[in-house]
Amino acid sequence: MANRGGPAQRPNPQTQGKICQFKLVLLGESAVGKSSLVLRFVKGQFHEYQESTIGAAFLTQTVCLEDTTVKFEIWDTAGQERYHSLAPMYYRGAQAAIIVYDITNMDSFGRAKVWVKELQRQASPNIVIALAGNKADLANSRAVECEEAQTYADENGLLFMETSAKTAKNVNEIFLAIAKKLPKNEQASGAGSTNQGRRLQELDGSPKAAGNCCK
Amino acid sequence: MAKSSFSKVDEYGFERAADFDYESYEEYMSQYLPILARRARKWARLMGNPNSLKRGPVIKRFMRKGVPAEHRAEVWLWASGATQLQEKMGPNLYRELLEETHDIDVVSTIRTDLPRTFPDNIFFNQGDQSEHRNQLFRVLCAYAHHNERVGYCQGLNYIAGLLLLVTKSEEKSFWLLKVLVEQILPDYYGPTMEGVIVDIDVLGELIRLKAPAIHQQVTALGLPWPVVTTKWFICLFAEVLPVETVLRIWDCLFYEGSKIIFRVCLTLIKSQSSSLLACDDFGSLAAAFKSTTSASSTLNCHQFMKSIFQVPGSLSSSTISTLREKISQDRHNS
Ligand SMILES: Nc1nc2c(ncn2[C@@H]2O[C@H](COP(=O)(O)OP(=O)(O)OP(=O)(O)O)[C@@H](O)[C@H]2O)c(=O)[nH]1
Ligand SMILES: [Mg+2]
Repeated sequence: MANRGGPAQRPNPQTQGKICQFKLVLLGESAVGKSSLVLRFVKGQFHEYQESTIGAAFLTQTVCLEDTTVKFEIWDTAGQERYHSLAPMYYRGAQAAIIVYDITNMDSFGRAKVWVKELQRQASPNIVIALAGNKADLANSRAVECEEAQTYADENGLLFMETSAKTAKNVNEIFLAIAKKLPKNEQASGAGSTNQGRRLQELDGSPKAAGNCCK
Repeated sequence: MAKSSFSKVDEYGFERAADFDYESYEEYMSQYLPILARRARKWARLMGNPNSLKRGPVIKRFMRKGVPAEHRAEVWLWASGATQLQEKMGPNLYRELLEETHDIDVVSTIRTDLPRTFPDNIFFNQGDQSEHRNQLFRVLCAYAHHNERVGYCQGLNYIAGLLLLVTKSEEKSFWLLKVLVEQILPDYYGPTMEGVIVDIDVLGELIRLKAPAIHQQVTALGLPWPVVTTKWFICLFAEVLPVETVLRIWDCLFYEGSKIIFRVCLTLIKSQSSSLLACDDFGSLAAAFKSTTSASSTLNCHQFMKSIFQVPGSLSSSTISTLREKISQDRHNS
């Protein structure tokens, strides 16, 4: 078989070493650490003063599972409430979401629950949702108990971890857990530049694409 | 190794990135400095005459060629109508707003963003000691209480921050912020950001008309326009383009109004059309859009400002207002 020695250059979806591409969106109140988690995961860095995200930022990162390479297309969104009207565009068609709150801020946990409800209602039915209680390094000023969040996550079928973008605790782990939970088989995914599966999906979800045909 | 004559911090206090290309910058500055000197002489003559600031083709050309740093505050206040507004509303408004009792939620939202505003600028990144940071807090807080419908919208921190760096005055920054938000731009910063959403669609339509191949490419690869352009509109290119280029854009924005924003967007997109059209997937297209703003052509602000009046072709205010009207009507009907 072609996949015998070394990493396959052009992996065949039928064999081992296939590449899957998934769209992942980060949601949560402003300043809970969404951009910091992404920066830690993608570049291994942390900025004490991370600039607030305006609109959204797009990054990619790859994780390797035993037989699959998972490529994440990551959408990091703006947290302020009034940017909410733009959010559906980012979670539309997403196969995974990380909803982030700050363990030192009870309000941000409340906001996270509202996001979970919204995704359960509006996003793709099979979306994998993870809840991240970030800033775990600030446990001294904790306002949200770990057990409370865990119970809530269990009741709602969410992955849950307390993370710290600052110390890197559980950052790779949460992305890895999502990668493991994502369905790999029906996700049509080619290697390199041909992402037929995802591309079609984007078009399906885009009202603008339809609008232009009628013009 | 030859050391560059340019410091690690630019004239507005921004630390230059580690990969800053001093060589290209030096080359471009050697061309730009004589231009600056010539503009400075012309403006000095103009400003020397009392009442010489009058709207008309001469001043319009002067604005397009750039306002010298030493006159920017005054000229922006005049060009935007902020001076008249201030006279109409009374000279004490800003001070009175500072003395009001402030809503604690608004205060804490603004406070959260203070250390996150220009962390790479020496005037803002000296902790609570930063005088600019305290001024930024007061300007944003005063404005949020003055215009409660808008309150504090993320993005205004960058705009007010840059206004402070230029005018070195909180009060002037407050008035310029007020005219920008309430008169120059449509409803960008309100509770639903309706104005931004409409203008992004207006831009999409302009691209469809003026750069159909790019429009088709972006649609085919499924990249929604807001993904690329939200920050361009909200920050008025602050934190998007090099600072000198942003200020040159604002020279025109204050005089000619919001259609300048579309000229800049169209120029950024059209001048990178070959690299945009070469993309064959969503990810590379998103990356190519990101690099439109870091293209070397954006650093040469003088050339760039010339190009925004050539590259997009004709663009009348009535085209924009018709599109805005049509798109907001469609949004309300759907
Ligand atoms: N102590 C600590 N601070 C953190 C952690 N993660 C983020 N921060 C800090 O919290 C602040 C906000 O982080 P961001 O990553 O910008 O937050 P965000 O959720 O992206 O915010 P918006 O873009 O405004 O929606 C920054 O100053 C970070 O340095 C963490 O794990 N521990
Ligand atoms: Mg962010």
